[in-house]
Amino acid sequence: MKKRLYLELENCIGCRSCLAACTQCGGHEERNRNYVYDVNPLVNRQTMPLMCLHCVNPACARSCPAQAIQIHETGAVLSALVEKCIGCQNCTIACPYGIPKFDTEQNLMYKCDLCIDRTKDGIPPMCASVCPSNTLQWLTDEEIEAKQKQFNLDNGKWVTSMPYLEGETNVRVNLPGILQGVTKLF
Amino acid sequence: MHTNTSMNKKTGRSIDNAFASKFAKSMFLSVSAIVILSFIATRMFTHVDLNLYGYMVGTIVFIGGFFYRFIAWGERPPTKIFIKKGLKLLKRKSTPKTAVNHLAIYDFIKNRGLYRWVQHILIGWGCVLACLVTFPLVFGWMYFTMDDNGHYTIVLMGLNLMTVKADGIIAWLSYNALNIAAIMVTAGVCMALHRRLKNMQARAEQKFIYDFLPLYLLLFISITGLLLTVQNVFLHGWMQPQMSLIHQFSVIVTLIYLPFGKLAHIPFRPVSVFARNYREHYAEQEEKKCKVCGDHFVSVEQSNDVIQVLGVNAIEFNMEDGFNLAELCLPCRRKYRISRFSGFATHQVKVKGANQNAKG
Repeated sequence: MKKRLYLELENCIGCRSCLAACTQCGGHEERNRNYVYDVNPLVNRQTMPLMCLHCVNPACARSCPAQAIQIHETGAVLSALVEKCIGCQNCTIACPYGIPKFDTEQNLMYKCDLCIDRTKDGIPPMCASVCPSNTLQWLTDEEIEAKQKQFNLDNGKWVTSMPYLEGETNVRVNLPGILQGVTKLF
Repeated sequence: MHTNTSMNKKTGRSIDNAFASKFAKSMFLSVSAIVILSFIATRMFTHVDLNLYGYMVGTIVFIGGFFYRFIAWGERPPTKIFIKKGLKLLKRKSTPKTAVNHLAIYDFIKNRGLYRWVQHILIGWGCVLACLVTFPLVFGWMYFTMDDNGHYTIVLMGLNLMTVKADGIIAWLSYNALNIAAIMVTAGVCMALHRRLKNMQARAEQKFIYDFLPLYLLLFISITGLLLTVQNVFLHGWMQPQMSLIHQFSVIVTLIYLPFGKLAHIPFRPVSVFARNYREHYAEQEEKKCKVCGDHFVSVEQSNDVIQVLGVNAIEFNMEDGFNLAELCLPCRRKYRISRFSGFATHQVKVKGANQNAKG
């Protein structure tokens, strides 16, 4: 059963577990590839995670002159192949979300690969498996559809990745709580 | 696809019109070059080593595969930009240093780990050494003659380069160059295999076809090559002709595979020098200011190139706020994304973002 990463952004409590877990994924060489940002740092403590959304038509891969960024059959946009990446940093400029990181010493780009050694076998990525607040979830398309129905607003304020952000993404993003003004469990 | 590089002004015809495709032109030119060079080097084909004829055919097939792959790759919009601008910037002062760094001593691999650097030096330079010996011998660009007993004359491109003692040090190095290369490659490949079997970081992402196959192919070549020497020295040449065919097979299979697998990074890698030159040169010209925070983060040229390349792919990130996403520095772009999620203009808050690096 194909599962997707699904984000319910306003659940985030800013614990940074996802960052720590990311460092522990095989192949990540103990460096995290995701971000957690304060939404309005001078006023409140709301945070939101930001990770690669795995675009269906990824700008990073399209702009890569070396074909170093491959797209896995599951739809995950992989990190640069170490032997192919030529260190031009086109991908960092192209990505609409600013996700790819670049190591100038190693002349190598690295980005979220959706923990491909886990997700290719249906195991949730590290970030989703440790998230204590259900911000990051690993769901089937049916479960995501149910979520969408549950949070449907009917007032045009629905902000999700459906319809798309800059482009269609394999990761689904959803933040019903803030716009609905409902109190969430977490 | 016809470029105006060699357009004749009078007739308006280009030499490119003579060929059905770039591929045909590249093949014709390189095969012609090989034939002409061999003609000169072998003194009008009088010194061709027909024992190596299989490698000759293998090389021609390899060139076909190489051009097919390389041209398809070079026609991609971002690649084309880097190759075109990189060639123009080749005269930069820093080019030799960058080239040595990237293509000869692999400093960036040392920063990924000393072990990986040692294995790559052994494999890389072992292969280079082997190629430098093999291909000149195959095409007759280099051969040995014996005019006086006990002295070899090394002939390079049809010219008598030097005469060496048959039992001297230079002669010994010449006979054993391929053995030395094979030992280097075998050691490097064994290190690489050990890492792929033991290192959990490597094991997470490797695939048999992509990561192991090229290593096994190199091992196949090296071991069969070394066995040839073993058979000559210790077994009086027992089964040597058969092994020579097996070795030839291993080399030809690897040559055909080379442009399509992991080893394709060998011919593609020089573009990393182009990319470094490109970044350095255009960063000196004019740097792009982030539309939100005003920090310099990339050259104007690269920002424009990326926007153009994405345009070719029908991707446009022009925002309602009046900028393209490629005009924001990375932290601002991430905060802008947060602002699009939350409805609050996070990117306008003049506060340094929290540290984003978890310590594993």
